[in-house]
Amino acid sequence: MPLISAKSATIGAAGVSLLLAAYCLDQGRQYWDAPSPGISLEVTGTTADDSYSSSDAVQLLAQVVSEESASPSETKAEPAPAEVDESALRYFARQGDTRRLEIEIARLKALYPDWTPPADPLATPTQTDDSLEEFWQLYSEGKLGEVRQKIAERQAADQDWRPPGDLLDRLALAEARERLINSSELDQYGTVISVATDNPQLLTCSEVDVLWRVAEAFVHTDREQRGYDAYKYILTNCDDTNERVATMQNASQLLSAPLIADLLRLERKDDQGVGEFAAIRNDLARDAVARGSKDAEVAVPREELKRVEETAEAEKLPSDARLLGWYYLQRKDHTVAEKWFRMALDEEPSADAAEGLALALIEREAYADAEDLMHRWRGDSDNTRIVYLAAAANLLGVEPRPLLSSEVLDRIVAEVAASKHVEGARQLGWYSRAFEQHATAKAWFITALGWDPQDEPSAYGLALTHHLFGELAELAQIKKAWEGRSERIQLVGIAPTEPAPATSMRTDQVAVAPMPTARPETTRPVRAPAAKPAASAPRRGCTNHVHPESLQPSAALNRGWCLLDVNRPIEAAKAFEVALRSGSGQVQRDAAYGQSLAYLRAGLVNDAAVAATRAPQSQARASELQTSILAERALGAFERGRYVEALVALDQRAQIAPERVDLMVIRGYAYMKLNRLGDARRVFEAAAGTGNRNAIRGLADVRNMINP
Amino acid sequence: MIRAILFAFLLIAGMASSNASAQISAREWADYSKRFISSEGRVIDDGNHNISHSEGQGYGLLLAYLAGNRADFERIWSFTEREFLLRDDNLSAWRWDPSAVPHITDLNNASDGDILIAYALARAGTAWNETRFIRKAQIIAKAIGRTSVLEHHGELLLLPGVTGFGAKDRPDGPVVNLSYWVFEAFPYFASLAPHTNWQRLAESGKRLIRKSQLGERALPPEWLSLANAPKTAQGFPATFGYNALRIPLYLMRALDDDKELLRRLRDGMTGSNGELIIVDTVNGKVIDSLNDAGYRIIPALASCVVDGAKIPAALQNFQPSLYYPSTLQLLALSHIREDRPECL
Repeated sequence: MPLISAKSATIGAAGVSLLLAAYCLDQGRQYWDAPSPGISLEVTGTTADDSYSSSDAVQLLAQVVSEESASPSETKAEPAPAEVDESALRYFARQGDTRRLEIEIARLKALYPDWTPPADPLATPTQTDDSLEEFWQLYSEGKLGEVRQKIAERQAADQDWRPPGDLLDRLALAEARERLINSSELDQYGTVISVATDNPQLLTCSEVDVLWRVAEAFVHTDREQRGYDAYKYILTNCDDTNERVATMQNASQLLSAPLIADLLRLERKDDQGVGEFAAIRNDLARDAVARGSKDAEVAVPREELKRVEETAEAEKLPSDARLLGWYYLQRKDHTVAEKWFRMALDEEPSADAAEGLALALIEREAYADAEDLMHRWRGDSDNTRIVYLAAAANLLGVEPRPLLSSEVLDRIVAEVAASKHVEGARQLGWYSRAFEQHATAKAWFITALGWDPQDEPSAYGLALTHHLFGELAELAQIKKAWEGRSERIQLVGIAPTEPAPATSMRTDQVAVAPMPTARPETTRPVRAPAAKPAASAPRRGCTNHVHPESLQPSAALNRGWCLLDVNRPIEAAKAFEVALRSGSGQVQRDAAYGQSLAYLRAGLVNDAAVAATRAPQSQARASELQTSILAERALGAFERGRYVEALVALDQRAQIAPERVDLMVIRGYAYMKLNRLGDARRVFEAAAGTGNRNAIRGLADVRNMINP
Repeated sequence: MIRAILFAFLLIAGMASSNASAQISAREWADYSKRFISSEGRVIDDGNHNISHSEGQGYGLLLAYLAGNRADFERIWSFTEREFLLRDDNLSAWRWDPSAVPHITDLNNASDGDILIAYALARAGTAWNETRFIRKAQIIAKAIGRTSVLEHHGELLLLPGVTGFGAKDRPDGPVVNLSYWVFEAFPYFASLAPHTNWQRLAESGKRLIRKSQLGERALPPEWLSLANAPKTAQGFPATFGYNALRIPLYLMRALDDDKELLRRLRDGMTGSNGELIIVDTVNGKVIDSLNDAGYRIIPALASCVVDGAKIPAALQNFQPSLYYPSTLQLLALSHIREDRPECL
């Protein structure tokens, strides 16, 4: 009798039907080309036939070989169901092993649709064969190899004895189940599916764990629909609420949104009308909002947002409030974000909520509040430290300068010093200067330059202070050091009026550095904004359509900058192309620089590299272009899966500029992809030290790979 | 192709009589299995932190078959299939650690383990008329042929594992391990998996063994790089060691009596008192001397084949020591009793 028809006949039997069994088998054949040679031969006469003796080895092997070309038919022959063997069932009943009893009833029902389980399995005649008793004992203890051993021993001792078909079936099934679970633990999805296909009797409501593993194997081998079918089978046929909820949880982690939504419709409700998946629906809504909190471009369905807001209001869970805070902060709705962060902090003080609130406060220029709030949390992570320092630096930079209490000033000074925070030191310099404490200002500018010799505003501040003190030699030294790099430093003491001191950091500048609102989720870092051109030529509007070829080179140069400003990089590159024909070396240099920036903005890295070489550039510009080009190259190579090339570009870049944290993350993942796990861990550890979330996750990923 | 099949059939016809006629005595097998095989059917490498590996499972199956003990064969097989044969490509994971979860701590395969398992299944299946075993033997043999046998510079090579040893995987690849050629299995595989030319694989293996005469003692190394002229692979010790000492045993078990080659191997691997020596293939220095009967019986057997010397009685007496030498001794003894009674 073909196996499949026997299975299909059992649909609807006591809620443990084998619908999927037949289904999977069919689907498996339809969609899945067995990766193994799929030898499903039946040697005529099978094992019970003694038609050839052991000396016929050649014959048997030859037979195996010739049968191989025959098309596979059934995976297993159905034993003739002369009489239903209930010995296992009776054994499990006597042992009180209800789980196995249930499985056995389901299995027998599937095999023999006309069979009805005994009303009282205990009342049936007791087992008389002692060795069978021993087999079932070993079987129920999971000692499957020993059952095999005992059967062979008994057969060797008694030539006429045949093991009950039921015992052999159950044993093979139990072995298959273990093999399926073991392969699943090792992500060997092909084996999982082939074992399940060969043993459809495993796919029942009494083995939801097996069904989950099969579903997972399908999803991970690009057969999401088959995985969905398995989950759907459980939610349609199986009654255990805990298992149903766990099924939905598993499905929601593996399937795409439309299929999840489809499965949620199979929810059952209790007497009070409460759906069994209510908690999962909340979690799914939270996941959606969480995705939205990391990326402003991600659209969160209105009802999902509403669900989380209502839950947050009703249950007062600070984690929900924080999630909403970040969601609104990401969308620059600072007022609403502030409300949620405050609610979160009222429920439970936390660095995360404080950080979010501080960022919202910085946005509305409430720097003193932000500084005051964050001071307590500054040591919690690198992120909180950065936010604290941003708040402090902004506070110092407010015009007119606020008179800060010595307590606040002292703690800012302590943190700036401990963190070697260049902007903080510089702002302390300007703050001191504003209050005419020039010696202190000088000390801070020198300190800032000690931490970052390339910090032009600090050098400028120091130049002004030297000028004020009449320290002409020192002033000349600074001017020499910044020659060609800073016009305003060259003008200190020369211009009739002292240029206005650089004032506070603009809010958006501060926000750029610490703004963890981005909280990127993907490994793909946010690209650094293209560098602003240094040229100060007047820029007229360029929205009109002018053919660049009709312009003079200098006009084309201006038009190029203008087009770049309005983010039309391809047109800008064409305008710079015309400007490159100028007879003036300066215009040529600016045009080549501009064109390179334009191509970078457009993502045309190779064109950018060519443009960069079309006119000699200053050291600063050349290095700026080169670092950007190499970073883009590394990212491009990484995206295309060319990890070695990505590393080459990163290495080249690292020779001319310090590695950005986002690029360190890329480097880490590139190492990981190349299986250089030690290197990956080292890089992630270094990057994670900055508090970068992607790096922290990368570190977790690589640790998982090293110690799975 | 036809030649290969003929070759296989001729050899099998000669072997077919070897129906587990207890070439290992019940006492010997009981001592071995009690010591090295767990009740669940796991073959324990007690010289190696009690881990298990596919090679050990293969040896356990083969020895159970040679001892004529089907019950133990069934037990070991049940465990092997459930716990080792998990890979998507139908090969066996190689390393199983009782203290780890999951127990498989290295999912890579080792082709000698795969060969031993498939070979034991093929022999037991034919002798006991059990298609369950033959079917599996065929699946594994085909998988080995498909994934691990490759053509290189006119030779057919056996990769030690599916990943990590090929010409693309390492600068000095392909790298092979000559002790992974279990010659006696290939005639069986020629019938089971005829798409692979197992006879050529065997011939290449023997040619490579003859060619690999490194150092003063002219011995093959454990891991051989074939990128250019044969030499020790990078990152591996340049030794004739615990792997390679099986090479003469496998040659003799397959009834390959190239006396000149066996004499050279015997002379290179034997110390002054008949002990087996582990040798640095660069400077010929002795790294270790192995005195266990399971090791000593290998050069003793070679001496019987090349010089007609009898195997000393002490080496014919099996007393389990550690998993590896005990296994080697039973492999040698079963072979002598079956095919070389003149050595006794």
